[in-house]
Amino acid sequence: MSFFGFGQSAEIDIYLDGQETRKTAEVKTEDGKKERFLLYYDGETISGKVNVSLKKPGSKLEHQGIKVEFIGQIELYYDRGNHYEFSSVVKELARPGEMIAHTSYPFEFSNVEKPFEVYTGGNVRLRYFLRVTIARRLADIVKELDVAVHTLCSYPEMNNSIKMEVGIEDCLHIEFEYNKSKYHLKDVIVGKIYFLLVRIKIKHMEIAIIKRETTGSGPNTFTDNVTIAKYEIMDGAPVRGESIPIRVFLAGYDLTPTMRDINKKFSVRYFLNLVLMDTEDRRYFKQQEITLWRKGDVLRKPNLHSTIMAGTQSLENTANAYKEENTGENNQNVDQEEENDEQVNKPLIKEDFTRSQSTDKLNNEVADPFSQDV
Amino acid sequence: MGSAAVPDIWKIEFASFFADFLPNTPPQISPVEDQERYLHEALGKVKAQAFHMKRALDKNKLMDALKDASLMLVELRTSLLSPKSYYELYMAITNELRHLELYLVDEFEKGRKVQDLYELVQYAGNIVPRLYLLITVGLVYIKTNTSLRRDLLKDLVEMCRGVQHPLRGLFLRNYLLQCTRNILPDAPDIDTDSPEGTVKDSVDFVLMNFAEMNKLWVRMQHQGHSRERQHREREREELRILVGTNLVRLSQLESVTLEKYQKLVLPGILEQVVSCRDAIAQEYLMECIIQVFPDEFHIQTLNPFLKSCAELDQGVNVKNIVISLMERLAAFSQRADNLDSEGGNILKEVELFEVFSEQVSSIIANRQYLPPEDMVALQVALINLALKCYPDRIDYIDKVMLSSVEMFQRLGLEHLEYHSSVAKELQKLLKIPLDTYNDILVVLKLKHYAGLMQHLDYNGRKSLSIYILNNALENEIIIPSPDETEQALTLLNTLVAEKSENPVGEIDMEELAEEQCLLARFVHQLQSNVPDEQYTILTMAKKILVTGGPLRTKYTLPPLIFQAYQLAYKYKNLREEKWDKKCTKIFQFCHQTITALVKAELAELPLRLFLQGALAIDQIGFDNHETVAYEFMSQAFSLYEDEISDSKAQLAAITLIVGTLEQISCFSEENSDPLRTQCALAASKLLKKPDQCRGVATCSHLFWSGKSLASNKEETHDAKRVIECLKKGLRIAKQCMDVSVQVQLFVELLNHYIYFFEKGNEEVTVEILNQVIKKIKEEKPNLESSDETEQITKHFNNTLEHIRARLESPDEGLIYKGIEI
Repeated sequence: MSFFGFGQSAEIDIYLDGQETRKTAEVKTEDGKKERFLLYYDGETISGKVNVSLKKPGSKLEHQGIKVEFIGQIELYYDRGNHYEFSSVVKELARPGEMIAHTSYPFEFSNVEKPFEVYTGGNVRLRYFLRVTIARRLADIVKELDVAVHTLCSYPEMNNSIKMEVGIEDCLHIEFEYNKSKYHLKDVIVGKIYFLLVRIKIKHMEIAIIKRETTGSGPNTFTDNVTIAKYEIMDGAPVRGESIPIRVFLAGYDLTPTMRDINKKFSVRYFLNLVLMDTEDRRYFKQQEITLWRKGDVLRKPNLHSTIMAGTQSLENTANAYKEENTGENNQNVDQEEENDEQVNKPLIKEDFTRSQSTDKLNNEVADPFSQDV
Repeated sequence: MGSAAVPDIWKIEFASFFADFLPNTPPQISPVEDQERYLHEALGKVKAQAFHMKRALDKNKLMDALKDASLMLVELRTSLLSPKSYYELYMAITNELRHLELYLVDEFEKGRKVQDLYELVQYAGNIVPRLYLLITVGLVYIKTNTSLRRDLLKDLVEMCRGVQHPLRGLFLRNYLLQCTRNILPDAPDIDTDSPEGTVKDSVDFVLMNFAEMNKLWVRMQHQGHSRERQHREREREELRILVGTNLVRLSQLESVTLEKYQKLVLPGILEQVVSCRDAIAQEYLMECIIQVFPDEFHIQTLNPFLKSCAELDQGVNVKNIVISLMERLAAFSQRADNLDSEGGNILKEVELFEVFSEQVSSIIANRQYLPPEDMVALQVALINLALKCYPDRIDYIDKVMLSSVEMFQRLGLEHLEYHSSVAKELQKLLKIPLDTYNDILVVLKLKHYAGLMQHLDYNGRKSLSIYILNNALENEIIIPSPDETEQALTLLNTLVAEKSENPVGEIDMEELAEEQCLLARFVHQLQSNVPDEQYTILTMAKKILVTGGPLRTKYTLPPLIFQAYQLAYKYKNLREEKWDKKCTKIFQFCHQTITALVKAELAELPLRLFLQGALAIDQIGFDNHETVAYEFMSQAFSLYEDEISDSKAQLAAITLIVGTLEQISCFSEENSDPLRTQCALAASKLLKKPDQCRGVATCSHLFWSGKSLASNKEETHDAKRVIECLKKGLRIAKQCMDVSVQVQLFVELLNHYIYFFEKGNEEVTVEILNQVIKKIKEEKPNLESSDETEQITKHFNNTLEHIRARLESPDEGLIYKGIEI
């Protein structure tokens, strides 16, 4: 016992079962650093031991009880005081009493629910951690340990391509197609852009992947747009009839699965932004939401051919699809009647480009009126 | 080590590497003066990055090397450079990329395969560096694992579509083409599913690349300001080789058989060429096709090729393309003939001429805007082809001429102006058969030659006619039949006939004389071995030549008449049946012809011709020849009397008449006497005294050496009349006022006297001679000294010298006895 009763008279160490062999995942911390945490999935049991060691052997530690909690919590940065715990499980490790020697308490949260994936964004953080508390009269001794959680999905049943014709009357008409609307995080976006009418001098074209994080609700809604990637897909001015291939590998970018309305606190959604820029630095763009999901790591046998040719086959498919035009999607949808909140792009949707007369540098995303779309 | 996958972290690293230089917005091409500076800067950066890259490779740091390579490749995104400078930069960079490629191939072959490299490089955010890396890596994969070849080639050529900037796109695709040049599948496509690919895949690959490059190249034309058009066209010229290389590559594929070429390669190329609708591209590419593919292929694909020619843009010089092909094939056919190989057989199978002829006419028909001179030039080429490949097929030439005639009729082109380019081409066309065969007779066999010639204007026809004539003269072509004579002269109509379509301006007499002399020379070449035919030739020629009017007949009829005289001599020698009658006919013909000249208000010329005729008649001596000769002589006389008024000409004429008459021996007394008297009379009637004197003196010879039937064709020796004439001469001379003329005449008369004296005319005596000599000596001192006087003195002295010489000679000295010198 310390002289003033302050300071840690005991140390807590949390040991998780199998921590030497368990996979880890990188998680960004609030300040942008990356840390590696042990990785768990929904419903997985978290078990281990809490070791309490006394600073001074021989002394005794009086306590009001020891507990371990598993907490899933959402932190909104603008509301520092309040953390929303969407999940909290407590296990009592010891009744109030005195501790004389190092003690080890095993614990187990069996099949604990972890409904969301860890996330660190511009305005919000979702984290999971274990907290051991030794309750004391004056100051509790607390120890926290973060873990990472990934949510896995199976292949989506519906995965239509995104196909759309956009344009500005008598100025620019294009038709674009992305092969899917739902991509897993290591997926490849394959598509094609077909120029139906070009009367402006296009300088180049790029695809940007934009992450939009919305937090709060009602008047207190905050939106944070981040351009995750910018990828030039065309250099120079095309003419009518050109078709430009798109192939974007996603594995190289810092992406998370799409999250919708997590605990009514926040959402993270992803958009593909097709941007054309003319020689006077005017920008024409069209955003399309894509859904990102995390695929379980299947141990695939390395197949050189398939790795290299990722995307090339489907590229041809899209090319063929253009020729056939109205023969419909490649994947046959048996479950037509199923309610689907995704757009079913059966007939080509014709929409207008969003235009911005900005001479700003491309980097300046604030200049982009993304919010107009909302 | 085995194969290793690229860690995800690499992908993230590489992807994020590009975030910084993506938004580079390339400006327009910089002015020329800055080019060097920009290029220099860029090359400096390339050098530095290449150095880093190679060092990283040495240390086996692939990721770093890729980054350096990307930084180097970023330089190729520039828009500041002209094609020339950009090319230099491109060469520097691709040279350095070779190091990366060699390193990777080396590593792969050692078994250190990096699996996801193809994916990794695609994280490059900028498309230009990305695609260069992709091609480089793709090449490495293909080289080390051919089973990927087909799919990778397809993927690469497809992905390159992303670069739509003409200059950058052209070079990128050129890099693709360069990299793949040794690895294109070139196996016959028996197994179409082979992942290594077959020649068909190669053809598809190159054709696609070609089409895209061509589109980019054409697009350059439409960018930028219109006033920079010339500049832009020059730049495009510089870049065309990049596009053409695709065709070269196709031609290098060994498994491209004739069948594949027909069905796959050529249609693919032609479709692109025709559809691009750009004159520069079309012209260059068509030329390329001709040059890069073998002749054996061309021969079998003439129809599609030429059909496409007809569909080309109106700015394209189709003529050059077609001509170039014709020339190539003509050369090929000649080679094949020499070798007598299977190429020759192909030539026989493919009706080379027929095909070209048909296609050329369809090109002409379809391309209304084709300048007429080009149409003609095509025909020229066609003729050349026909001559080279089928030298013995004159009908082909005729066919071309016919179609040319039709073409002109369709175009409504008549009287092409002499200096216009169409006319020049047409002239060229018309000269070809001449230059080739050097035989006007061959040209005459061409049915449509004359018709085609009619489309030239007068001057054009004339200059061509001169050309034809010269050709005929130089090669000494004999025209052996009346028909050909007619054709030839009709062909040379502009020279023969009087101008009907009278152009303004005076006729240049000198020029006319020159032309007509040529024609006159040509008349001499109208010769048949058969006398009867020769006669027909002459009558035919006369009929045509007479239309030329006085200016021309003056030159052209005389040779004809001389030809006729010669023909008469020939008959004389042959002595065949009815030769008398034929000769009469000939002289009738001559008479008519000369009369035609008379009608043309000529006098001296017909007079001489009559005299010449009289001589000929006298010598040939056919039946009834005296009458005819008399007629000729009398015609000459009447010409003398009616037409010749100039005193000098009169003297000359009378001298000639006297000379002729002196020669002729066929006249009876009844004919010869009037003629002689007439001569003396005419001489004494001359206007000027000296002329009278000389004329009379000349006439004196008629009575001495003239012959007639009366004197049995011996000399007449009428001494009395001789002396009368000379006396008359003396009398007239004395009447002359000018002393020097008088002396001159005396000297001349003295010579006459001496002549007759020596001939033994007894009327001439030494006394007379002495009188004359004395007279001269008296007058001589009165002469003023001048050149003339000197001449006269000399003449006189020479005469005296002659007498002295005679005196001294022992035999003849006697007759001069008593002479006073």
